[in-house]
Amino acid sequence: MSDIELYLFEADKNKMEAQRVATQSAGRLEAKTLKLIDLITSLEPYINDKDDGSIRAKSVTYLADVLSSLPPRVLSGQERRLLCDFILGRIEGDAEGIGASARALIALEGLGKWDADTVQKVLRTFIDNTHPLRQFKLQTERYALVQLIDLLLAKYRDALRQLHESDHEFMTGFISYFEGEKDPRNLMIIFSLLQVPMTEWDIHACAQDLFDSVFNYFPITFKPPPDDPYGITAQDLKDRLRDCIAANSDFAPYAFPQLLDKLDSTSMNTKRDVLHTIQACVLGYEAKTINLYSVTLWDALKFEILNVQEEDLALESLKALGLIAAKFAETAEGPLNAYLRPVIKECNEHLEDAPTKQSEATGRILHALAVSGPAVADKISKGVLPVLFSLYNGSQSITKRRGLLDVFNHIVAAYVELDELQPNTNTEALQAYANDALEAMIRALVNAPKAEVSFRLASLKGLTQLVSTRNALSEKEGERAVDTITDMVLHEQFEGHGDIRAQAIKALTDVAHSIPLVVRDRSVPAFMVELLDNPSEGSVLAPVLEAFAQLSTERQIFDTIALRLKNKYGVARHQGAPQQYQRSLLLALLYAFTFGAPMREDGIIRSAYYTEYAEPLLTDIASRPAAEQDHSTLDIVGRIVNVLLRPQGVHFQSTVYNKNLQWLSSAGKDEMLAMALAPFTLQYYAGMKAEVADAEDIVSVLKAQAHLALHASSDPVGVSTVLRHLSLLVNKFINPKTMQATLEASGIEVGVLLSATASSQAIGAAFAVVKGLLIQGKSGALATRYLQALLDILASEGKDVARHFATLLAPDDILSKENHCLVSGLYKQKIFNQSVPFMIDAVRTADASIKPNYLIALSGILRWLPYSVIEPSLKSLIAPLLQTLDLNEPAEQEVKASALIIFESLLMHDPTIVAEHTASLVTRLLNSTAGPANKADVRAKALQCLALAPRQLKREAVVPYRRQVVKRLQACLDDTKRSVRTEAVKCRTAWLGLDEGNEDEE
Amino acid sequence: MDADKDNANPTILNPSDLPSRRRSTPAAKRPGIFDALAPAYPRLAEPPSSPEPSSASSDSDPDSDREEIDSQEIYDLISTISDPEHPLSLGSLGVVTISDIRITPPPSPRSRISTVTVLVTPTTSACSLTTVIGLGIKVRLMNALPPRFRVDVRIKEGTSRTADEVNKQLADKERVAAAMENLSLVGVVRTMLATCE
Repeated sequence: MSDIELYLFEADKNKMEAQRVATQSAGRLEAKTLKLIDLITSLEPYINDKDDGSIRAKSVTYLADVLSSLPPRVLSGQERRLLCDFILGRIEGDAEGIGASARALIALEGLGKWDADTVQKVLRTFIDNTHPLRQFKLQTERYALVQLIDLLLAKYRDALRQLHESDHEFMTGFISYFEGEKDPRNLMIIFSLLQVPMTEWDIHACAQDLFDSVFNYFPITFKPPPDDPYGITAQDLKDRLRDCIAANSDFAPYAFPQLLDKLDSTSMNTKRDVLHTIQACVLGYEAKTINLYSVTLWDALKFEILNVQEEDLALESLKALGLIAAKFAETAEGPLNAYLRPVIKECNEHLEDAPTKQSEATGRILHALAVSGPAVADKISKGVLPVLFSLYNGSQSITKRRGLLDVFNHIVAAYVELDELQPNTNTEALQAYANDALEAMIRALVNAPKAEVSFRLASLKGLTQLVSTRNALSEKEGERAVDTITDMVLHEQFEGHGDIRAQAIKALTDVAHSIPLVVRDRSVPAFMVELLDNPSEGSVLAPVLEAFAQLSTERQIFDTIALRLKNKYGVARHQGAPQQYQRSLLLALLYAFTFGAPMREDGIIRSAYYTEYAEPLLTDIASRPAAEQDHSTLDIVGRIVNVLLRPQGVHFQSTVYNKNLQWLSSAGKDEMLAMALAPFTLQYYAGMKAEVADAEDIVSVLKAQAHLALHASSDPVGVSTVLRHLSLLVNKFINPKTMQATLEASGIEVGVLLSATASSQAIGAAFAVVKGLLIQGKSGALATRYLQALLDILASEGKDVARHFATLLAPDDILSKENHCLVSGLYKQKIFNQSVPFMIDAVRTADASIKPNYLIALSGILRWLPYSVIEPSLKSLIAPLLQTLDLNEPAEQEVKASALIIFESLLMHDPTIVAEHTASLVTRLLNSTAGPANKADVRAKALQCLALAPRQLKREAVVPYRRQVVKRLQACLDDTKRSVRTEAVKCRTAWLGLDEGNEDEE
Repeated sequence: MDADKDNANPTILNPSDLPSRRRSTPAAKRPGIFDALAPAYPRLAEPPSSPEPSSASSDSDPDSDREEIDSQEIYDLISTISDPEHPLSLGSLGVVTISDIRITPPPSPRSRISTVTVLVTPTTSACSLTTVIGLGIKVRLMNALPPRFRVDVRIKEGTSRTADEVNKQLADKERVAAAMENLSLVGVVRTMLATCE
C-alpha cells in the first residue's frame, strides 16, 4: 500500500497513526527514498476524486501533514513554488480541505520565505475563491485560514500594502471576508490582524466599512463556557476590540457618536466598556481629530460625574476627561482653550450654589483636568479661581465657603501631584490667589466657631497643601501657616464636637515634610515653651508631648526633636519634676525611636544614638539603690535601650555587655534590687544577641531569676516580668543540648516543679519554661514531655492551672525574632497537635467536676491559634466549644469570649460544619446574650455570631428559630450597654430579613 | 436622566459636621498614643491564676452603669438610611437632624412607655417621596427600639405641602401595617434600609 492509501485508511479511525504515516512520508522525502513528484502523483486519484469530497479533503490534509513534518532545506525553491502553485490552483476549483490547504501553505512558508508576488497571489486567491469565510462550517478550517492571513499580514506588510494601493477594490472584499465570524478563538486573531491595515494603511476611503466590521461586535457579551480549554476571556476580546476601534483617527466620525449613544445604555458593563474605549480612542487618535469631538465628549461624560450612578464609572469618566486635556496640553493651545472654555463655564456655574452634589463633582472634575498637565492646571486656575474667590468673599455663609474651599483644595491637590511628578511646575496662576487663600484659611482656623468642623478641616487641609506646593507661598507666608497650625496643636483644648487637634497634628507633620527648617525654627521652640521644666502635679502636658513626639516622623527634624526631649528629661529629673511627667518625656523619646525617623546606617539605627541616649539612662539606673527604682520608668528605659541596642552588630553589643556585666551581676545577687530591676533587665537581655553573652554568666542569671520566680514576694506585676524573663532565657540563651541539666541545676526542671505539692509560683515557672521551649522548637522531645506533664496535672488540679494554658501561646513582644529569639515556624501547629486532640478526648471522658478544667485549658490554647490551624479539626471541636458556652462562672467570661470568636470564624468560613448543630448553637448564643451574667463584650460577640446565622446557614435550617430569636432579641434591644444594643439591632435586622425573603419567594 | 427626580441637586452636609458620639466624647478619655507603646503592664502574661474581677473588668466600665438610649443613638439608627432618590444618607441631606429628635419619658411613674418623636425635613417642600421616607424611619425604629418605646414620625411643620396628609398616614397603625404588605413599597423601604449598619 502506498503511504496515501495507508493514510486514508487510518485517517478516520486513528488520527495518531495517520499522523505517523505522514511523518514517515516526510522522512522518506528527506532521505531521498521518495521523490516529491512521486508523492504528488500518488495523490492524484484521491485528490481529484470526483464523487467523494471528503477523500479529496483528506488527501490535502495528508499533504499538509507531510509538509508540516518536513525539516527545512529538503525541498528546493522551485519545488516549493510548484507546490504553492499546485495548492492555489486546487483552491480555485475546489474548496474541499480548505483548512488543510491553508495549513500546507503555512508549512511551506515556514520552509522558506516568499516573494511579494507569491504573497499577493496567495492572499488574493483566498479572498477571491473562499469569500466569505463563514461558508466553512468547521471552526478548525476557518481557524487555519485566519492563521494563514495573520501570518501574511505579520510578515509581509509591504507586499500586502502594495496590493491594497494598486487595487482599490481589494479592501472591500478583504473587510467583508470575515463578516459573521463568531468563534472567540478566530475573533481574537481577526481583531489582531485587522490592526495592520487599520494602523498602517491608508484606509480613509473604506474607514466606515472597516470600522463597522469590528464595531458590530461591540459591546462584547461573551461568556466563556465552564472549563473552557482555550482560556479566552471576555476581557481578552474586549481589549483587542478596543485596540481596533482606537487604531485610526479616521474612525472618529463613526466611533464617537456610536460610543456616546451606547453610553446611555442601562447596562453598567456596557457603560464601563464604552468609557474604556473612549479613553483608548483619546489616546490613539490624533489631537486634531479629538479637537473636533472634545466638547461633545465633555457634554456626555460630565453626566456620569455630576450624577454618579456607579463610582467606578465616574472615575473612568474623570480619567477620560483628563486624557483629553493631556492630549491637547502636548500640542497647540487653541484646542485646549476650546475644550476648557465650556468646562470652566459650567464649573463656575456649579460653584454658585455650593455646597451641593454638583459642586462636589465640580471639584473632582477640575482636579482630574488640572492634574493632566501644568498648562491645563494654569488655565483652570486662571479660569476658576477669580470666580471662586469672588464668590467666597461675597458670601457670609460658612457652609458655602466650605464648599468653595473644598473645590479650591481639589485644584491645589492637582498642583501638589504635578509637582511630585515634575518639580518646578509653573504655579504662577495659583500664586496670584495663594495669599487670598492663605488669609481666608487662617481666618477660618483662628476665628471661625470651633463647631464648624468641616469648614476648619477644609482650611487645615488647604493650608497643608498650599505649603506643600513649591513656590506657592513666600517664606513669610509659610511661616504664618506653620504658626497657625502650631498654635492649634498647642492651645486648642477644645473638647467634644469640633476637636480637630488630631488632624492639626497630622497637618503639622505633613508641613514638616515640605518645610522642615521652618517647623524646626518656629514650631519646636513654641513646643518647648509649653513643656515646662517642672510642671505642677495636675498640669496636663501629655497631649503636647504626644504631638511633639509625632513630629519625629519627619527625618530632617528627628535629631532636633530627640535632643530636645533628652535635655528636657534631664532638666525635669534634676529639678525633681513629677514622676508622671518624667515618664511621659521618656515615653516620647521611646515613641520617637520606635515610630519616628532616626538616622540609619546601612538600614540600621545609628549606634551613636545608643551612646548618646541610652547609655546615660543606664548609668543613672546603675547608680540608684533598690528603693529609688520605679517599675514603670525602668520598663520604659529598658524599652529605649532595647530598641537602640537590638539592631546593632555583635561587636558593639559585646562592648555594651561587658561594660554592664559587673553591676548587673552584683545587682542580681541582691534579691530586692534584682526584683526592682526586673522590668529593665528583661528588656536589656531581650535586645542582646545570644552569642554576645557568656554561657556561665547566663546560667547564673537564670538561677537568679528562677530563685526570684519561686521565692519572691507575691507582687503579681513583678512575678510576671520575672516569668517572661525565664521564657526568654530558656528560649534564646540556654544551649538546647544541655537544657534539662541546666534547668535542673537552676531548680526549674518542669518534672520537679510539678511534683505533688506544687505551689502556684512553681506552676507559673513551669508554664514559663515550657513556653520558651515550645516556641523555640529545638528541644522537641523535652518540650513534648513537659507539655504532656502540664496536661496531666489538669486531672488533679483546680481551674487556676487550666487558666495558665492561655499563657503558652499568648503573644509576647519579648519572644520575637527582632529580639533574636528562636521562633520555630510551626510551633503553633505543633502545640495544637500535641495538646488539642488529648483535651478533646479528655472532655468526652472526664468526670463532670473536672471537665471545666479541660474546657478552659482548651480554649486557652485555641484562643491564639490562627483559623487555618484549627480548621482541619473543627468537626471534633464543636462539641467541646458548645460546652464551653455553658460555663457560667464570672471568671470564665474570657473563655467564653474566645469560644464565640471561634464560632464567628466558623460561621464565616465553614458554615456547613455547624449546620447540624444549629439548634444547640442558636440556643446557647441566645443564652449568652443575657446580662448581667455575661459581660458586655461576650453579649456583643454572641449577637455578632447570631447575626451571621441567617446569612451563612441554609434558610430552612434557621427559619424555624426566627420567631424565637426575634422575640428574645427584643430584650437585647434594651441592653444596658450601647455597643451591645448596636449589635442587637444588626442581629435582629438580619433575622427579620429572613422573613422578607420568604415573602418574595411565595 | 434626572428629570424624574424631585430635587436633582440637593445641598449636602459634610460628614464631619454631622453629630456623632465619638466627637462628643471628651478627648481626655481616649487612649493616648503612648499607651500602646509601653502597656502599663502586659496583662496577658500576668498570672491568670488570680482572677481579679476588680482589676480585669474595671477598665471596661462595670456592667451596672446603664447607658441610656439618647437622641444621638436614635440619630445613629436613622441617619444612615438612604434617600430613595440619591445614593446619599438622610443625615447628610439634613432630612433628619439630631435637634429634631425628642425622647419623652413615661408620663407617669406607673407607665413604662417612652415616646420617640422624629421630625422629618424633606429636601424640597414638594418632595413626593416624603411618605416613603417617613415610613422607612418608622419601620427602622420599630425594629430597632425595645417595645417600651412608642415611635412617632412626623413632618416638620412648614417644610412640606403635604405634611398633614403624610402625618395622618404615618400615625395610623393600620395604614402603616397595610403599607408594609405592599410588596413594591417593602422593596423600596428595604433598599433604603440596606445601608443601615
